[in-house]
Amino acid sequence: MKDNHLKKSIWVFHLNTGSCNGCDIEILDALTPYFDVERFGIKLVASPRHADVVLLTGPITVKTLPMVINALKAVPRPRYVLAIGACAVGGGIWYDTYSVIGGVKEFKKILEEHGVEIDKIVYVPGCPARPEAIIYGVALLLGLVKEKVSKEVVIIGEGSHH
Amino acid sequence: MADSVEETKRNLEEMVNVLKKYADNIEFVERVGLIVRVKKERLREVSRFVHDILDSYFRTMAAVDERPINNTFAAYYVFGKDEMGLNIIIETHTDPLDPEIPSISDLVPAADWYELEAWDLLGIKFTGRRLYRFILPDEWPEGLYPLRKDVDYNLRPVKPLARKASKQAPAGPRIPFGPYHPALHEPEYFELFVEGEKVVDVRYNGFHVHRGIEKLAESPRFTYQKVPFLAERICGICGFVHSVSYTMSVERAAKIDVPERAEYIRSIILEVERLHSHLLWIGVACHLLGYDAGFMHSWRIREKVMVLSELLTGSRKTYGINLVGGVRKDINKDKIQAIMNTLKYIKEEFSKLVEVIAHVPQIVKRATGTGILPRDDARKLSVVGPVARGSGLNRDVRKDYPYAAYPYVSFKVPVYSEGDNLARLFVRIDEVFESINILEQLLDKIPQGPIFAEKIEVPEGVIGIGNVEAPRGEAIHVTITGKGRPYRWRVRAPTYQNIPALKIMLKDAPLADAPLTIASIDPCFSCTDRLLVIDLKTGKAVKKTMEEIIKKKKVN
Repeated sequence: MKDNHLKKSIWVFHLNTGSCNGCDIEILDALTPYFDVERFGIKLVASPRHADVVLLTGPITVKTLPMVINALKAVPRPRYVLAIGACAVGGGIWYDTYSVIGGVKEFKKILEEHGVEIDKIVYVPGCPARPEAIIYGVALLLGLVKEKVSKEVVIIGEGSHH
Repeated sequence: MADSVEETKRNLEEMVNVLKKYADNIEFVERVGLIVRVKKERLREVSRFVHDILDSYFRTMAAVDERPINNTFAAYYVFGKDEMGLNIIIETHTDPLDPEIPSISDLVPAADWYELEAWDLLGIKFTGRRLYRFILPDEWPEGLYPLRKDVDYNLRPVKPLARKASKQAPAGPRIPFGPYHPALHEPEYFELFVEGEKVVDVRYNGFHVHRGIEKLAESPRFTYQKVPFLAERICGICGFVHSVSYTMSVERAAKIDVPERAEYIRSIILEVERLHSHLLWIGVACHLLGYDAGFMHSWRIREKVMVLSELLTGSRKTYGINLVGGVRKDINKDKIQAIMNTLKYIKEEFSKLVEVIAHVPQIVKRATGTGILPRDDARKLSVVGPVARGSGLNRDVRKDYPYAAYPYVSFKVPVYSEGDNLARLFVRIDEVFESINILEQLLDKIPQGPIFAEKIEVPEGVIGIGNVEAPRGEAIHVTITGKGRPYRWRVRAPTYQNIPALKIMLKDAPLADAPLTIASIDPCFSCTDRLLVIDLKTGKAVKKTMEEIIKKKKVN
């Protein structure tokens, strides 16, 4: 998939859906002097309406779900999501408990029911995901590096599954 | 020390003599504390005596479904007598069909949340107070209590669909703060009620990050040695705190002796974690005050601690090295040298940063006199950690209930009496230097020997308490052992104890100070919300409750 939409600096919105803070802190870490992604023009914004990419962390708890859907709806198209950490990728250690919705597979179904289309999801596994991995994920999204495992990238609505 | 041991013994005897009047049975269990078994009718008397007359803090309460064992619901109220390092556990049982226990939240304000939680998750009715849905979501079926043993851990009765966002709101101007707010890095919802620029009331609608951890640990997916990996994931900042609290609770219940070297390694990692957490917080506080240079510098220094964590544990997040009985990774000479080098760097760089921060007018001015928590309120709510120490309470679990290798080192506990945001900032700054001091002593004294206990056998049906001074305050875990895995595991994180204090700090203060004040307790919602989701039915009712809580009135 060619990304003509994200040629310039990208703005990211951080969406914590019930994460333990591990990945969230690594996201902040990537913004601070050691990794300093701001030098690539990557900037954290306070509203999903300003975002090019959503950094989604956490297993999506029942409680956050409505707000997560609202936040994703507010993101202008094309809607890109970076699913960061084991929880966001597949529900993590709580994949089957009573209060989370159970990973991306279930989440995609719910999004479809609500008519929220996601144009591209890139998965960044890890517990927590390392700052380097998060930056690599962004590079993958921008097409700066090649996908090494094709199954890592799921394009919703085009029939492929992870 | 000998004198104080004698004195403690004498005090303990006196205490037991008085408590005998109330209790059916009193038992002193080594490494755990004094277990006082009372009939529920006498619970209020005993609680009042222990809390007011013995002047002990309320630490936690674990409600347990014991129907499969003795056909009752049980509640274990844990009070702590800090000066003696003694836990006083009040145990009471109630009827299996219609569980009712008299509420003590008017006598012990800190018990408020615990009762609501036990009502919501176990269906124990606390009489003499108003009960409402606290943790579970609105659409959760009435009469289904997830922590009861006859409910499966993976039962999902709620169809996860987006519900209507609008709720009946109280009249008057209202400022929503969250769940997604630039000043919060976690989904949490505060509603601030304002008159002009003044905050008149606060409504906290939390538990967004509830993932059902306690129930999961009881499920067949877990064993005693797997739970530490779950405990670590309670929180991404102080994960090691929770894994040590858990393992300590099991070790104390089962009387397992952990080798000294392992205790030292645990203390070392705990202090490394405190360093990174305090540097993180100081950065975030600077950011909230609009001083981003301070934020960046603090995180630049912190990054070295993360590299150190990776060297020591194999993971940037200090995950995966702790088990019941000891640790899995040893520390060698090279690593000790690496820690020393990092400490030297942090000490130099952090001293420079502190000097700058102390001279930035917007930091000092905005933090002075804002978010005040008076000492009396701090005492009543049994707050913990830097929040307690910023309000003049000398409480530190490392001193009061010694664990790991802390008895072998000497350190100061910084206490400030002002109770404002600046006091809490200073407590944390001082603690960074104290942590460095503790680490230097630990590295100097670490003994040779094994790092894992020889024999690990956990008997069934015994209680254990583990406590750790997390960067945010006391984390306390209560474990009741079962077959192959905990029968009940109750986690209480520091933020759980500190959030009720926010209502006092925010009330009558300017709106502009709210973000800093909320941040000043260093809230960690992922710890607090292991349980489900608070959702409050009507705004009006809740507002009333808040006022009632603030006025410490009995809620009917």
